[in-house]
Amino acid sequence: MDELIVNLKKEIIEVLNLEEVKPEDIADDAPLFGEGLGLDSIDALELIVLMEKNYGIKLTDPSQGRELFKSTRVMADYIRENRKK
Amino acid sequence: MTKEVYIRAACQISTQHPLGEVWMDSPVHYNEPYARAIDPDYKQFLEPNVARRLGKILKRALLTSRQVREESGIACPDAIITGTGLGCIENTGIFLEALTREGEAFLKPTYFMQSTHNTISSLVAIDARCHGYNATYAHKGVSFECALLDAFLQVKKGEANTVLVGAHDEMTPDYFLLLKRAGYLGHAPGGFSGETAMSMMLNNREEDAACRLDGVEIAYRPGREELQDLLARLCPLDEIDAVMIGTNGNPANDKLYAEVCPELFPGKQLLRYKHLFGESYTAPGLGAYAASILLRQQRVPAHLFANTREKEVTRALKRVLLYNHFEGKNHSLILLSACGK
Repeated sequence: MDELIVNLKKEIIEVLNLEEVKPEDIADDAPLFGEGLGLDSIDALELIVLMEKNYGIKLTDPSQGRELFKSTRVMADYIRENRKK
Repeated sequence: MTKEVYIRAACQISTQHPLGEVWMDSPVHYNEPYARAIDPDYKQFLEPNVARRLGKILKRALLTSRQVREESGIACPDAIITGTGLGCIENTGIFLEALTREGEAFLKPTYFMQSTHNTISSLVAIDARCHGYNATYAHKGVSFECALLDAFLQVKKGEANTVLVGAHDEMTPDYFLLLKRAGYLGHAPGGFSGETAMSMMLNNREEDAACRLDGVEIAYRPGREELQDLLARLCPLDEIDAVMIGTNGNPANDKLYAEVCPELFPGKQLLRYKHLFGESYTAPGLGAYAASILLRQQRVPAHLFANTREKEVTRALKRVLLYNHFEGKNHSLILLSACGK
Protein backbone atom coordinates (compact mmCIF):
# COMPACT_ATOMS: atom_id res chain seq x y z
CA MET A 1 0.00 0.00 0.00
CA ASP A 2 1.35 3.42 -1.00
CA GLU A 3 1.90 5.25 2.30
CA LEU A 4 1.59 8.69 0.71
CA ILE A 5 -1.81 7.84 -0.78
CA VAL A 6 -3.06 6.52 2.56
CA ASN A 7 -1.90 9.66 4.38
CA LEU A 8 -3.37 11.85 1.68
CA LYS A 9 -6.76 10.16 2.02
CA LYS A 10 -6.69 10.71 5.79
CA GLU A 11 -5.81 14.36 5.27
CA ILE A 12 -8.59 14.85 2.72
CA ILE A 13 -11.13 13.25 5.06
CA GLU A 14 -10.01 15.48 7.92
CA VAL A 15 -9.80 18.75 6.04
CA LEU A 16 -13.10 18.25 4.22
CA ASN A 17 -14.84 16.85 7.32
CA LEU A 18 -16.01 13.71 5.51
CA GLU A 19 -17.35 12.12 8.70
CA GLU A 20 -18.91 9.10 7.06
CA VAL A 21 -15.93 8.23 4.88
CA LYS A 22 -12.96 6.01 5.77
CA PRO A 23 -9.66 5.97 3.83
CA GLU A 24 -10.41 2.50 2.49
CA ASP A 25 -13.69 3.78 1.03
CA ILE A 26 -11.78 5.97 -1.41
CA ALA A 27 -10.38 4.00 -4.34
CA ASP A 28 -6.97 5.24 -5.48
CA ASP A 29 -8.27 6.03 -8.97
CA ALA A 30 -11.81 7.10 -8.04
CA PRO A 31 -12.74 10.64 -9.14
CA LEU A 32 -12.89 13.10 -6.26
CA PHE A 33 -15.29 15.54 -7.91
CA GLY A 34 -18.67 15.02 -9.52
CA GLU A 35 -19.27 11.30 -9.14
CA GLY A 36 -17.14 9.50 -6.53
CA LEU A 37 -16.78 11.64 -3.40
CA GLY A 38 -18.92 14.36 -4.95
CA LEU A 39 -16.69 17.24 -3.90
CA ASP A 40 -17.37 20.80 -5.07
CA SER A 41 -15.55 24.05 -5.79
CA ILE A 42 -15.20 25.00 -2.11
CA ASP A 43 -13.55 21.65 -1.47
CA ALA A 44 -11.14 22.41 -4.32
CA LEU A 45 -10.10 25.56 -2.44
CA GLU A 46 -9.56 23.51 0.71
CA LEU A 47 -7.41 21.03 -1.24
CA ILE A 48 -5.29 23.86 -2.67
CA VAL A 49 -4.63 25.06 0.90
CA LEU A 50 -3.86 21.46 1.96
CA MET A 51 -1.27 21.07 -0.82
CA GLU A 52 0.50 24.25 0.22
CA LYS A 53 0.33 23.74 3.97
CA ASN A 54 1.27 20.06 4.12
CA TYR A 55 3.55 19.70 1.09
CA GLY A 56 4.75 23.21 0.26
CA ILE A 57 3.17 23.08 -3.19
CA LYS A 58 1.72 26.41 -4.24
CA LEU A 59 -0.82 26.20 -7.05
CA THR A 60 -0.84 29.59 -8.72
CA ASP A 61 -3.25 28.60 -11.47
CA PRO A 62 -6.57 27.34 -10.03
CA SER A 63 -7.35 25.56 -13.31
CA GLN A 64 -4.46 23.20 -12.52
CA GLY A 65 -6.73 21.71 -9.86
CA ARG A 66 -9.01 20.20 -12.48
CA GLU A 67 -6.28 17.77 -13.56
CA LEU A 68 -4.46 17.53 -10.27
CA PHE A 69 -7.46 16.62 -8.14
CA LYS A 70 -8.67 13.92 -10.52
CA SER A 71 -7.96 11.17 -7.98
CA THR A 72 -5.83 10.56 -4.90
CA ARG A 73 -3.32 8.65 -7.05
CA VAL A 74 -2.89 11.63 -9.40
CA MET A 75 -2.53 13.95 -6.41
CA ALA A 76 0.05 11.66 -4.77
CA ASP A 77 2.11 11.44 -8.00
CA TYR A 78 2.12 15.23 -8.30
CA ILE A 79 3.13 15.62 -4.65
CA ARG A 80 6.02 13.14 -5.05
CA GLU A 81 7.40 15.16 -7.96
CA ASN A 82 6.85 18.64 -6.60
CA ARG A 83 6.83 18.54 -2.79
CA LYS A 84 8.99 21.01 -0.91
CA LYS A 85 8.35 19.56 2.51
CA MET B 1 -54.79 49.08 3.12
CA THR B 2 -52.59 47.32 5.61
CA LYS B 3 -52.81 43.62 6.33
CA GLU B 4 -52.84 41.60 9.52
CA VAL B 5 -49.67 39.67 10.30
CA TYR B 6 -49.73 36.12 11.64
CA ILE B 7 -47.18 33.71 13.01
CA ARG B 8 -47.93 30.55 11.13
CA ALA B 9 -45.28 28.27 12.64
CA ALA B 10 -42.30 28.56 14.98
CA CYS B 11 -39.53 26.15 15.92
CA GLN B 12 -36.52 26.17 18.26
CA ILE B 13 -33.22 24.54 19.07
CA SER B 14 -32.09 25.84 22.43
CA THR B 15 -31.14 24.73 25.92
CA GLN B 16 -34.50 22.95 26.04
CA HIS B 17 -35.40 19.76 24.20
CA PRO B 18 -35.13 20.68 20.52
CA LEU B 19 -37.77 20.89 17.79
CA GLY B 20 -40.81 20.70 20.02
CA GLU B 21 -42.67 21.93 23.07
CA VAL B 22 -41.39 19.42 25.64
CA TRP B 23 -40.29 22.43 27.74
CA MET B 24 -43.95 23.26 28.42
CA ASP B 25 -44.38 20.23 30.67
CA SER B 26 -40.86 18.86 31.24
CA PRO B 27 -38.42 21.74 31.22
CA VAL B 28 -34.69 21.22 31.59
CA HIS B 29 -33.26 23.23 34.50
CA TYR B 30 -29.72 24.54 34.68
CA ASN B 31 -27.65 25.30 37.76
CA GLU B 32 -24.49 26.23 35.90
CA PRO B 33 -23.99 29.73 34.49
CA TYR B 34 -23.18 28.43 31.01
CA ALA B 35 -25.09 25.96 28.87
CA ARG B 36 -25.00 25.11 25.21
CA ALA B 37 -28.04 24.17 23.17
CA ILE B 38 -29.31 20.60 23.09
CA ASP B 39 -28.64 19.61 19.51
CA PRO B 40 -30.78 16.98 17.79
CA ASP B 41 -29.09 14.19 15.86
CA TYR B 42 -28.54 16.16 12.67
CA LYS B 43 -27.82 13.00 10.71
CA GLN B 44 -31.53 12.22 10.95
CA PHE B 45 -32.46 15.52 9.32
CA LEU B 46 -29.65 16.88 7.17
CA GLU B 47 -27.91 15.21 4.26
CA PRO B 48 -24.25 14.38 5.15
CA ASN B 49 -23.01 16.34 2.15
CA VAL B 50 -24.95 19.41 3.25
CA ALA B 51 -24.09 19.17 6.94
CA ARG B 52 -20.39 18.37 6.81
CA ARG B 53 -19.21 21.92 6.20
CA LEU B 54 -21.66 23.66 8.51
CA GLY B 55 -20.93 24.93 12.00
CA LYS B 56 -23.46 24.47 14.79
CA ILE B 57 -25.29 27.74 14.26
CA LEU B 58 -25.75 27.00 10.56
CA LYS B 59 -27.03 23.48 11.18
CA ARG B 60 -29.48 24.82 13.73
CA ALA B 61 -30.66 27.62 11.45
CA LEU B 62 -31.03 25.25 8.52
CA LEU B 63 -32.99 22.67 10.47
CA THR B 64 -35.33 25.08 12.29
CA SER B 65 -36.05 26.93 9.05
CA ARG B 66 -36.76 23.67 7.24
CA GLN B 67 -39.13 22.64 10.02
CA VAL B 68 -41.19 25.84 9.87
CA ARG B 69 -41.22 25.78 6.08
CA GLU B 70 -42.61 22.27 6.22
CA GLU B 71 -45.03 22.94 9.07
CA SER B 72 -46.39 26.08 7.43
CA GLY B 73 -46.53 24.55 3.96
CA ILE B 74 -44.56 27.55 2.68
CA ALA B 75 -41.59 26.00 0.92
CA CYS B 76 -40.21 29.25 -0.47
CA PRO B 77 -41.07 32.44 1.44
CA ASP B 78 -41.08 35.85 -0.21
CA ALA B 79 -38.40 37.11 2.18
CA ILE B 80 -35.89 35.78 4.69
CA ILE B 81 -34.84 38.03 7.56
CA THR B 82 -32.41 37.03 10.30
CA GLY B 83 -31.43 38.61 13.58
CA THR B 84 -28.12 37.60 15.10
CA GLY B 85 -25.97 39.33 17.68
CA LEU B 86 -22.77 37.46 17.05
CA GLY B 87 -23.29 35.67 13.73
CA CYS B 88 -21.12 32.59 13.23
CA ILE B 89 -18.91 33.36 16.22
CA GLU B 90 -17.59 29.79 16.56
CA ASN B 91 -16.30 29.65 12.99
CA THR B 92 -15.01 33.20 13.32
CA GLY B 93 -13.01 32.09 16.35
CA ILE B 94 -11.58 29.08 14.53
CA PHE B 95 -10.67 31.26 11.57
CA LEU B 96 -8.93 33.87 13.72
CA GLU B 97 -7.07 31.23 15.74
CA ALA B 98 -5.77 29.70 12.49
CA LEU B 99 -4.83 33.17 11.31
CA THR B 100 -2.54 33.72 14.29
CA ARG B 101 -1.30 30.12 14.46
CA GLU B 102 -0.34 29.91 10.80
CA GLY B 103 1.13 33.39 10.53
CA GLU B 104 -1.71 34.62 8.32
CA ALA B 105 -1.08 31.90 5.75
CA PHE B 106 -3.06 28.76 4.85
CA LEU B 107 -6.41 30.25 5.79
CA LYS B 108 -9.34 27.85 5.71
CA PRO B 109 -11.74 28.97 2.95
CA THR B 110 -14.75 27.34 4.59
CA TYR B 111 -14.29 29.10 7.93
CA PHE B 112 -13.62 32.36 6.13
CA MET B 113 -16.85 32.10 4.16
CA GLN B 114 -18.79 31.09 7.24
CA SER B 115 -17.45 33.75 9.57
CA THR B 116 -19.78 36.52 8.49
CA HIS B 117 -23.11 37.39 10.07
CA ASN B 118 -25.14 37.12 6.88
CA THR B 119 -23.97 33.57 6.13
CA ILE B 120 -27.00 32.34 8.10
CA SER B 121 -29.66 34.13 6.10
CA SER B 122 -27.99 33.34 2.79
CA LEU B 123 -27.66 29.64 3.62
CA VAL B 124 -31.36 29.44 4.48
CA ALA B 125 -32.18 31.23 1.20
CA ILE B 126 -30.03 28.85 -0.84
CA ASP B 127 -31.71 25.88 0.84
CA ALA B 128 -35.19 27.30 0.16
CA ARG B 129 -34.17 28.46 -3.34
CA CYS B 130 -35.44 31.88 -2.31
CA HIS B 131 -34.28 34.76 -4.52
CA GLY B 132 -36.37 37.35 -2.69
CA TYR B 133 -35.54 39.96 -0.05
CA ASN B 134 -32.78 38.73 2.25
CA ALA B 135 -31.51 40.73 5.19
CA THR B 136 -29.56 40.28 8.40
CA TYR B 137 -29.78 42.48 11.48
CA ALA B 138 -26.78 42.38 13.78
CA HIS B 139 -27.72 44.88 16.47
CA LYS B 140 -26.61 43.07 19.62
CA GLY B 141 -29.53 42.74 22.03
CA VAL B 142 -32.24 43.96 19.64
CA SER B 143 -31.15 41.98 16.58
CA PHE B 144 -34.22 39.76 16.61
CA GLU B 145 -36.61 42.62 17.26
CA CYS B 146 -35.17 44.56 14.30
CA ALA B 147 -35.59 41.51 12.07
CA LEU B 148 -39.13 40.99 13.32
CA LEU B 149 -40.04 44.66 12.82
CA ASP B 150 -38.76 44.53 9.24
CA ALA B 151 -40.74 41.35 8.58
CA PHE B 152 -43.84 42.80 10.26
CA LEU B 153 -43.72 45.91 8.07
CA GLN B 154 -43.07 43.87 4.90
CA VAL B 155 -46.22 41.82 5.48
CA LYS B 156 -48.26 44.72 6.86
CA LYS B 157 -47.55 46.86 3.78
CA GLY B 158 -48.04 43.99 1.36
CA GLU B 159 -44.42 43.97 0.20
CA ALA B 160 -44.26 40.30 1.10
CA ASN B 161 -46.94 37.74 1.86
CA THR B 162 -44.67 35.25 3.61
CA VAL B 163 -41.51 35.97 5.59
CA LEU B 164 -39.19 33.55 7.34
CA VAL B 165 -37.72 35.24 10.42
CA GLY B 166 -34.75 33.80 12.30
CA ALA B 167 -33.09 34.49 15.65
CA HIS B 168 -29.74 32.76 15.87
CA ASP B 169 -26.84 33.01 18.27
CA GLU B 170 -24.29 30.57 19.60
CA MET B 171 -22.22 31.10 22.72
CA THR B 172 -18.67 29.78 22.69
CA PRO B 173 -16.77 29.14 25.95
CA ASP B 174 -14.34 31.95 25.07
CA TYR B 175 -17.04 34.49 24.42
CA PHE B 176 -18.85 33.47 27.59
CA LEU B 177 -15.66 34.14 29.57
CA LEU B 178 -15.44 37.61 28.06
CA LEU B 179 -19.05 38.36 29.01
CA LYS B 180 -18.44 36.99 32.49
CA ARG B 181 -15.40 39.21 32.96
CA ALA B 182 -17.47 42.16 31.79
CA GLY B 183 -20.01 41.33 34.49
CA TYR B 184 -22.86 40.75 32.08
CA LEU B 185 -23.33 37.01 32.58
CA GLY B 186 -22.38 34.18 34.85
CA HIS B 187 -22.49 35.79 38.28
CA ALA B 188 -25.96 35.37 39.61
CA PRO B 189 -27.50 32.14 40.87
CA GLY B 190 -30.50 31.16 38.79
CA GLY B 191 -29.48 32.80 35.55
CA PHE B 192 -27.41 31.32 32.78
CA SER B 193 -26.10 31.98 29.34
CA GLY B 194 -27.79 29.98 26.60
CA GLU B 195 -27.93 29.68 22.84
CA THR B 196 -30.72 30.62 20.46
CA ALA B 197 -31.87 29.03 17.23
CA MET B 198 -35.42 30.02 16.45
CA SER B 199 -37.22 30.24 13.12
CA MET B 200 -40.75 31.47 12.57
CA MET B 201 -42.89 31.89 9.48
CA LEU B 202 -45.01 35.03 9.18
CA ASN B 203 -47.81 35.44 6.69
CA ASN B 204 -51.01 37.42 6.16
CA ARG B 205 -53.59 34.63 6.56
CA GLU B 206 -55.27 33.75 9.82
CA GLU B 207 -56.06 30.21 8.74
CA ASP B 208 -53.99 27.70 10.76
CA ALA B 209 -51.97 30.49 12.38
CA ALA B 210 -50.48 30.08 15.85
CA CYS B 211 -51.20 33.70 16.75
CA ARG B 212 -51.32 37.24 15.39
CA LEU B 213 -48.40 39.65 15.57
CA ASP B 214 -49.94 43.03 16.42
CA GLY B 215 -46.86 45.18 16.69
CA VAL B 216 -43.19 45.63 17.45
CA GLU B 217 -41.74 48.71 19.14
CA ILE B 218 -38.05 49.38 19.74
CA ALA B 219 -36.58 52.31 21.66
CA TYR B 220 -33.12 53.43 22.75
CA ARG B 221 -32.82 54.55 26.36
CA PRO B 222 -36.50 55.47 26.66
CA GLY B 223 -37.85 57.22 29.72
CA ARG B 224 -40.95 55.88 31.49
CA GLU B 225 -43.16 58.29 29.56
CA GLU B 226 -41.81 57.12 26.21
CA LEU B 227 -42.28 53.50 27.21
CA GLN B 228 -45.87 54.27 28.14
CA ASP B 229 -46.39 55.97 24.78
CA LEU B 230 -44.98 52.96 22.95
CA LEU B 231 -47.26 50.68 24.91
CA ALA B 232 -50.26 52.88 24.18
CA ARG B 233 -49.45 52.68 20.47
CA LEU B 234 -49.73 48.90 20.65
CA CYS B 235 -52.97 48.48 22.59
CA PRO B 236 -54.84 49.62 25.72
CA LEU B 237 -53.27 48.18 28.87
CA ASP B 238 -56.47 46.46 30.00
CA GLU B 239 -56.45 44.29 26.85
CA ILE B 240 -53.16 42.66 27.85
CA ASP B 241 -53.56 39.38 29.72
CA ALA B 242 -49.93 38.66 30.54
CA VAL B 243 -46.54 40.32 30.13
CA MET B 244 -43.53 38.14 29.32
CA ILE B 245 -40.39 39.82 30.60
CA GLY B 246 -36.68 39.25 30.03
CA THR B 247 -35.45 38.71 33.60
CA ASN B 248 -32.33 36.56 33.42
CA GLY B 249 -31.17 36.12 37.01
CA ASN B 250 -28.56 38.87 36.84
CA PRO B 251 -29.49 41.51 39.47
CA ALA B 252 -28.05 44.29 37.28
CA ASN B 253 -30.44 43.25 34.50
CA ASP B 254 -33.47 42.33 36.60
CA LYS B 255 -33.45 45.49 38.72
CA LEU B 256 -34.87 47.52 35.85
CA TYR B 257 -37.79 45.12 35.39
CA ALA B 258 -38.54 45.38 39.12
CA GLU B 259 -38.69 49.16 38.77
CA VAL B 260 -40.48 49.43 35.43
CA CYS B 261 -43.06 46.63 35.54
CA PRO B 262 -45.18 47.85 38.48
CA GLU B 263 -45.38 51.29 36.86
CA LEU B 264 -45.90 50.18 33.29
CA PHE B 265 -47.97 47.04 33.78
CA PRO B 266 -49.76 47.44 37.14
CA GLY B 267 -51.64 44.31 38.18
CA LYS B 268 -50.57 42.34 35.12
CA GLN B 269 -49.48 38.74 35.37
CA LEU B 270 -45.74 38.55 34.66
CA LEU B 271 -44.24 35.58 32.83
CA ARG B 272 -40.59 34.73 32.20
CA TYR B 273 -38.70 32.48 29.78
CA LYS B 274 -34.95 33.08 30.18
CA HIS B 275 -34.82 30.72 33.20
CA LEU B 276 -35.48 27.99 30.58
CA PHE B 277 -33.71 29.30 27.50
CA GLY B 278 -30.91 31.35 29.06
CA GLU B 279 -29.66 34.74 28.02
CA SER B 280 -28.27 35.52 24.59
CA TYR B 281 -28.41 38.45 22.22
CA THR B 282 -31.38 36.97 20.41
CA ALA B 283 -33.11 35.34 23.40
CA PRO B 284 -36.22 37.52 22.79
CA GLY B 285 -36.73 35.36 19.70
CA LEU B 286 -37.31 32.42 22.03
CA GLY B 287 -39.61 34.62 24.11
CA ALA B 288 -41.73 35.34 21.04
CA TYR B 289 -41.66 31.65 20.14
CA ALA B 290 -42.75 30.67 23.69
CA ALA B 291 -45.54 33.27 23.72
CA SER B 292 -46.83 32.00 20.37
CA ILE B 293 -47.01 28.47 21.82
CA LEU B 294 -48.90 29.71 24.91
CA LEU B 295 -51.42 31.51 22.73
CA ARG B 296 -51.88 28.53 20.42
CA GLN B 297 -52.25 26.05 23.26
CA GLN B 298 -54.18 28.49 25.48
CA ARG B 299 -52.35 27.48 28.64
CA VAL B 300 -49.48 28.71 30.77
CA PRO B 301 -47.34 26.20 32.69
CA ALA B 302 -46.75 27.16 36.35
CA HIS B 303 -42.97 27.35 35.86
CA LEU B 304 -43.34 30.35 33.56
CA PHE B 305 -44.82 32.65 36.19
CA ALA B 306 -42.37 35.28 37.31
CA ASN B 307 -43.95 35.88 40.71
CA THR B 308 -44.29 32.98 43.10
CA ARG B 309 -47.76 33.59 44.46
CA GLU B 310 -50.06 33.46 41.46
CA LYS B 311 -49.69 30.46 39.20
CA GLU B 312 -52.48 30.89 36.72
CA VAL B 313 -53.76 33.44 34.28
CA THR B 314 -57.23 34.16 35.56
CA ARG B 315 -58.77 34.92 32.19
CA ALA B 316 -58.58 33.58 28.65
CA LEU B 317 -55.20 34.26 27.13
CA LYS B 318 -55.94 36.72 24.35
CA ARG B 319 -52.98 39.05 24.35
CA VAL B 320 -49.41 38.59 25.52
CA LEU B 321 -46.93 41.45 25.56
CA LEU B 322 -43.19 40.77 25.48
CA TYR B 323 -41.01 43.35 27.16
CA ASN B 324 -37.24 43.09 27.00
CA HIS B 325 -34.33 45.42 27.59
CA PHE B 326 -30.68 44.95 26.74
CA GLU B 327 -28.27 46.50 29.22
CA GLY B 328 -30.91 49.08 30.03
CA LYS B 329 -30.31 50.74 26.67
CA ASN B 330 -32.32 48.93 24.01
CA HIS B 331 -35.93 48.29 24.97
CA SER B 332 -38.45 46.34 22.94
CA LEU B 333 -42.16 45.59 23.09
CA ILE B 334 -43.77 42.85 21.01
CA LEU B 335 -47.51 42.27 21.11
CA LEU B 336 -49.01 38.90 20.19
CA SER B 337 -52.70 38.00 20.15
CA ALA B 338 -54.58 34.75 19.95
CA CYS B 339 -56.26 34.20 16.61
CA GLY B 340 -59.93 35.08 16.34
CA LYS B 341 -59.72 37.32 19.44
